[in-house]
Amino acid sequence: MARELKERRIDWVGICFAVALTLVIVVPLLVVGTWAFTNVWRYPSVIPQEFGLRFWNQTLARADVWGSITMSLSLATMVTFLSALICLPAAYAFARLDFPGRNILFFSFLAGHAFPKFGLLVAIAGIFLQLNLIGTFWGVVLIQLVGTLLFMIWIPVAAFQAVDRRMEEAARDVGASPLRVFWSITLPQAGPTIAAAILLSFVGTFYETEGAWLIGAPQIRTLPVLMISFINNQPVIQYGAVLSVLLWVPSFFALLFARRVISSGSFARGFGA
Amino acid sequence: MTLTAASNDIVGKKQGRWPVGLLLVAMPVFLVGWMIIWPILSAVWRTVWLPDEGAGHSFSLETYRFFFSDQYSLNNLGVTLWTTGVCAILLVLICVPIALYLRFAKGRLAAYVQGLAIFPMFVPSIILSYAIIRVLGPNGTVDLLLNSVGLPKIRSPYLTPWGPVIGLVWDNIPLTVLILLSGLGNVSNQAIEAARDVGARPLAVLWHIILPRISNSILVAVSFTVLGIFSSFTLPYVLGPAAPEMMGPFMQRTFRDVNDPTMAITQAVITFAFCIVFGLFYVRSVAKNRAP
Repeated sequence: MARELKERRIDWVGICFAVALTLVIVVPLLVVGTWAFTNVWRYPSVIPQEFGLRFWNQTLARADVWGSITMSLSLATMVTFLSALICLPAAYAFARLDFPGRNILFFSFLAGHAFPKFGLLVAIAGIFLQLNLIGTFWGVVLIQLVGTLLFMIWIPVAAFQAVDRRMEEAARDVGASPLRVFWSITLPQAGPTIAAAILLSFVGTFYETEGAWLIGAPQIRTLPVLMISFINNQPVIQYGAVLSVLLWVPSFFALLFARRVISSGSFARGFGA
Repeated sequence: MTLTAASNDIVGKKQGRWPVGLLLVAMPVFLVGWMIIWPILSAVWRTVWLPDEGAGHSFSLETYRFFFSDQYSLNNLGVTLWTTGVCAILLVLICVPIALYLRFAKGRLAAYVQGLAIFPMFVPSIILSYAIIRVLGPNGTVDLLLNSVGLPKIRSPYLTPWGPVIGLVWDNIPLTVLILLSGLGNVSNQAIEAARDVGARPLAVLWHIILPRISNSILVAVSFTVLGIFSSFTLPYVLGPAAPEMMGPFMQRTFRDVNDPTMAITQAVITFAFCIVFGLFYVRSVAKNRAP
């Protein structure tokens, strides 16, 4: 009875949290969104004097914007491709095969997470300096590739382990080849989680700013790096706002497709919870 | 037991082929060795084995001595420690109540709160910096609203040490909430109801039943936060003051603008030293939860 009474009571705590989080998390983003579609907004008017798409045309006409969009997309594609190429077979091996040192090698991917990230990047940059990789495309690819390893191995390992072994064995028993079993039984079951891992590593690489800035600048200019220079040196507010909206697109896709993976408990456990 | 038998069976079948497994994992493991382990060892080595007056190298702690006697470097270290501490405290104070609410509430409102608490994960920190400048910066939205009701402008946190604090807390809310929620999953309803049945007040339940069970999750969340914030770069670089600056921007400037890699690597080794306890604790907790 007590519980019934409680459920009928208005959830004041929840309302407080909802209002506070809306103010702190949603409103700042709405302000940026509004700026992107504003032609004129002079202080001290509370709402813009003129809405419009003028600054979209101007921003998209800039060569540096297109250059950095191309750079970001090709970097993220290359890193994700290489990462999938080397990590997915490794994940399969960790999940299914037995070999000496399997456990210690599996946990070695945590090594990068025991150290503060930017300090590690500076230490890597010290090595790249001797190898003349500073300011090159492949230097940035390498540093971003290392950042994707943990996710691209641990999430697919869990996916492969979740596949029902009995189905695979049944298929083998009726004469399917190992490749056929992998293609028809293993992959369809592990596929969605692996796809989420690939999407997350693409999006994570797309937004990776620190490695790109430390290793790539000034030759390699990705979209987030261009955004930093807009924030620091660009007096026209709308350029930054339009770029923010463009920059958010990959996150939007991650939000649509990978949310279930992130909300599940296994994701938080991957962070040591 | 069948599981052990089955896995023995598999191992038996694959025994002749174990190099295949090693071959498949070789490339990522090589990358970890070359791009994580080796740079760290080399960083320590390069900062204590310096070129001397002659042609050779000799052991010297000169760069560390310089760092700890240089007031500017010490100020930067100080502001980094201050920011990390303040952020960790604020995150615990903000996220523990949210996680507690989400653990016990049901329904649409709770789903909305959870959605919002996780949402910052889908906002890159560079967009966040821009949003903070537009809202809290000079003539930002807060100033506009205050002005419209005739109040004076705020003292903007933009370009003060509070700018990065606001950004870093915002950025770290989702993972802190997720880690705490996962820890709260270990608190059973029975334990709480049993305590309530013998007349424990909500505060007593929180203190004696819930907090002891999630203290490990709080430590994990704090370690993760400390590791992330101590050497954060983007938010302090964009939102913070030019001096004193946090270790992230300081290392970047020393490396690229001052062009003194040895000093930058010294600073990196110092950040490693300050975070090593949190790093080891964090990695140990992650490893404990995850058997391959």
